[in-house]
Amino acid sequence: MIKVLFFASLREQLGCDALDVDAGQIASVADLRSSLQAKGEVWNAALSHQQLQVAVNQQLANTEADVKDGDEVAFFPPVTGG
Amino acid sequence: MAVDISISVQAEGFDPGAEYTQLRRENYSDGATSMFVGNVRDFSPKASLDAPGVSASETGEHLPVTVLKLEHYPGMAEAALTEIARQAADRWPLGRIRIIHRYGPLNAGDEIVFVGATSAHRQDSLDACAFIMDFLKSRAPFWKKEFSGEGEHGTWVQARTSDEDALEKW
Repeated sequence: MIKVLFFASLREQLGCDALDVDAGQIASVADLRSSLQAKGEVWNAALSHQQLQVAVNQQLANTEADVKDGDEVAFFPPVTGG
Repeated sequence: MAVDISISVQAEGFDPGAEYTQLRRENYSDGATSMFVGNVRDFSPKASLDAPGVSASETGEHLPVTVLKLEHYPGMAEAALTEIARQAADRWPLGRIRIIHRYGPLNAGDEIVFVGATSAHRQDSLDACAFIMDFLKSRAPFWKKEFSGEGEHGTWVQARTSDEDALEKW
């Protein structure tokens, strides 16, 4: 399983903060995003956002990054701390 | 000598004076201590669509903010701040680095973030503080939501391109 997390405005749009995804057909962040987008219109729209950021195992990553079974992948909008 | 790095991500407040005391404790080789404290403003700069880049203080358009809620990514927030501190430690001859970032509901005026650094000479600790804040703004997983009144749903603060641009000078 891949543990997927959502934060901030993205979490609110999806009404979901975390879910587990079967790692079977997923090799990259792009694959994971596509499979999540297929969950419905809200998911498709929210995860299509160009400025979406992603972290794999708590490190910022890009959509080409490898994803494997047991990984933690987080999607979130641009950060606004400080 | 290894730089002494201390990172805290916490809901509780902090005392900048106590943090200064800690940065100086038995620290006789560093002649410079630089610190930055970020606080919650009581207004939100309302971005002007007609003139992007013009600040609210120039247009006079302010929205009141009574509560700021900070969401964070537990685990990654600590890791990202540690990584930023390590980069600063690689770049400047520093003695100590202290970073505190709060999360949860905060009121106008409350402290949000503390960055402190010590060095033998002032420019190194001044630059390190500015570097850490610039990277923290664009790389550490925290998100602000502003509330202007009771029962209000709140507005997520939008990331500013000027924050990303600030990284280019480093």
